[in-house]
Amino acid sequence: MNNPDLSKPTRQSVKGLALIFIQGVRQSIRIFWPLVLMLVFQKEIFANNLIWVFIGIAVFIMLIIHSILFYLNFYFHVSGGEFILKKGYLRKKTLTIPLERIQSVNTKQNLLQQILNVVTLEIDTAGTAAKELKIHALEKSFATELQNQLRSGKINKGSEDKEQAEFIEPEEELILKLDPVDLLKIGISQNHLRTGLIVLAFGFQIFQKVEDVFKGKADEYSGEFVNYMSNSSLALIIFLLIFFLIISILISLFRTVFKYFDFKLLKKENAYRVVAGLVNKRNVVMPLNKIQELNWETGPIKKQFGIYNLVFKQAVSGQNRKVQLVDAPGCLSKHLELLKTDLFGEDNLSTNSKFFSNNYYFRRLWILSGWFPFVFTAPFLYTEWLFWLLAFVWLAASAAYSFLILKKRYFQIHNTQIRISKGAISQKWKQMELFKIQSVEFKQTIFQKRRSLASLDLMNASGSMTIPYIDESIAKLIYDYLLFHTETSGKSWM
Amino acid sequence: MENFSNSVLIPQNLPEIKEETFNKLDGKYLKILFIRIAIFMLILTGALTTFLILIEETLPILVLIIIISIPTLLITYSILITVLGFPRKGYLVREKDLSYQKGLITYKLITVPFNRIQHVEVNQGILAKIFKLSSVKIYTAGGNASDLSIPGLPAEIAQNLKSFLSEKISEHE
Repeated sequence: MNNPDLSKPTRQSVKGLALIFIQGVRQSIRIFWPLVLMLVFQKEIFANNLIWVFIGIAVFIMLIIHSILFYLNFYFHVSGGEFILKKGYLRKKTLTIPLERIQSVNTKQNLLQQILNVVTLEIDTAGTAAKELKIHALEKSFATELQNQLRSGKINKGSEDKEQAEFIEPEEELILKLDPVDLLKIGISQNHLRTGLIVLAFGFQIFQKVEDVFKGKADEYSGEFVNYMSNSSLALIIFLLIFFLIISILISLFRTVFKYFDFKLLKKENAYRVVAGLVNKRNVVMPLNKIQELNWETGPIKKQFGIYNLVFKQAVSGQNRKVQLVDAPGCLSKHLELLKTDLFGEDNLSTNSKFFSNNYYFRRLWILSGWFPFVFTAPFLYTEWLFWLLAFVWLAASAAYSFLILKKRYFQIHNTQIRISKGAISQKWKQMELFKIQSVEFKQTIFQKRRSLASLDLMNASGSMTIPYIDESIAKLIYDYLLFHTETSGKSWM
Repeated sequence: MENFSNSVLIPQNLPEIKEETFNKLDGKYLKILFIRIAIFMLILTGALTTFLILIEETLPILVLIIIISIPTLLITYSILITVLGFPRKGYLVREKDLSYQKGLITYKLITVPFNRIQHVEVNQGILAKIFKLSSVKIYTAGGNASDLSIPGLPAEIAQNLKSFLSEKISEHE
């Protein structure tokens, strides 16, 4: 089993039976839970116990038969330069992927798989049906071997020097590693406002449900507390704020630790590899040429710790248009510099001048976020003096916010690279190589035209970058240059 | 400005895209757009009339005026936009890329280099079939935002454009 012979059809590990079975149980629960719940609460139906036991056993046996059949009919092998996966017993399915179209081979492991010591192998292609190419139960050693074979098989096909490829077993270089202390810092410096809002929304729903069920009892126990709270709205607000702040900090911390436990970013040949996770372990390989864009972000708290949040944006595969993101929750500026040099070469951008969006961009933001809501609500509320007070505060706040956005919105361009900056309270940078561009869009409203301004959209295979409200002449120049560059560049975008 | 030109402009004269050089869409396409508005108008009037008949109490004149004037304004607006905006729609095929422009209130110009096109499609709707028009849709790897669709081409030109583009794509592979 340790040395996979891919020429013959192979089944996954026998342990897969357990996984298929549990997945079956999960699926049936997902489908039938409302029914089961209804039955549990209507006790009289349980009068005839025997029937329910019988149905339970029947479902159990059916699931076991399903697992065995599914397991027996799940094969994969390589032949004629193609990876072939066969599955299904009622409806048979054969998936075929040419080896050279395999983009990356990743592994994942959830809790159950960790106990069984098996992994999920995901084969990512540049074509369709990518999500289907998953093998859920492979022995870890077997998976690693298969991963290597598929990868090297691809390389060998490209270059004929097979000997060389075998000789040099490339060593992995550790670029970034996060220990628990780092994770603690990162967890604390997350955007708590966002988590807080999610908690608030969830909390409100849960609260309503709990309230419905325990209404009578809750009144008895917390009567005094609730009374005090509702009589002093200021105390209530402060209490809620502190409560949600603590909860969201805790949630951010747990989330960060769970998702990024033992985070490692490694480099091997022409690919990065990311390993992370406490319960769900993931092992993702990103070929360098697939990375379209590097994003990094820092906020007021993160800045204090010198932490940046990193996101690698990868090419969207085929029709299955979902952007693949691989992120490092936190890194120091030295790591960031290292990665930037690695991806983009020498940094020519930082010294180049920054082109800021025109002041008119501020005006548009302020009109949309400040004056629009004001003008629309004014006819209904103009008699209330409180409205005028709030409106004034709102207009001032949106002006301040729009001003922050304007001050952070700029771009820097060099012969082969572009970097844009945006943000309001936190700041985010996006950088890409110009030959990764797929298409360019020039936009100009009649209001912009009057002031000789325009906006640009640069599309790449993982999304787009927007440069709003710059001089029309500059926009046109960049437009023409980007096209010239993309059309003359012989480099493939992926 | 000077600093900028120094850092970016390597070639002496970058080829510019000039608005005047664009090919206009076929005039018959305007008819299709009108028919679409007419269908929309019919559905809207039908819905409104049923609503007014079914409702039992008589509405105040002011409400009635609002109910009738909003769709009227909407349709007048869309007719105006269609008529005035039509001459702005156009496409341009250059040696190495394909551009499409449109928009009266927000002018948009999008260009896709040939070496980034994934595949090309020719589509023909029911209305377009009657007028013997087709549209050419160009897919890139950039997702929906960067896909480009040129409507209102005579069927023959659309086919020619498609085979021209397919040839260009195979050159780059």
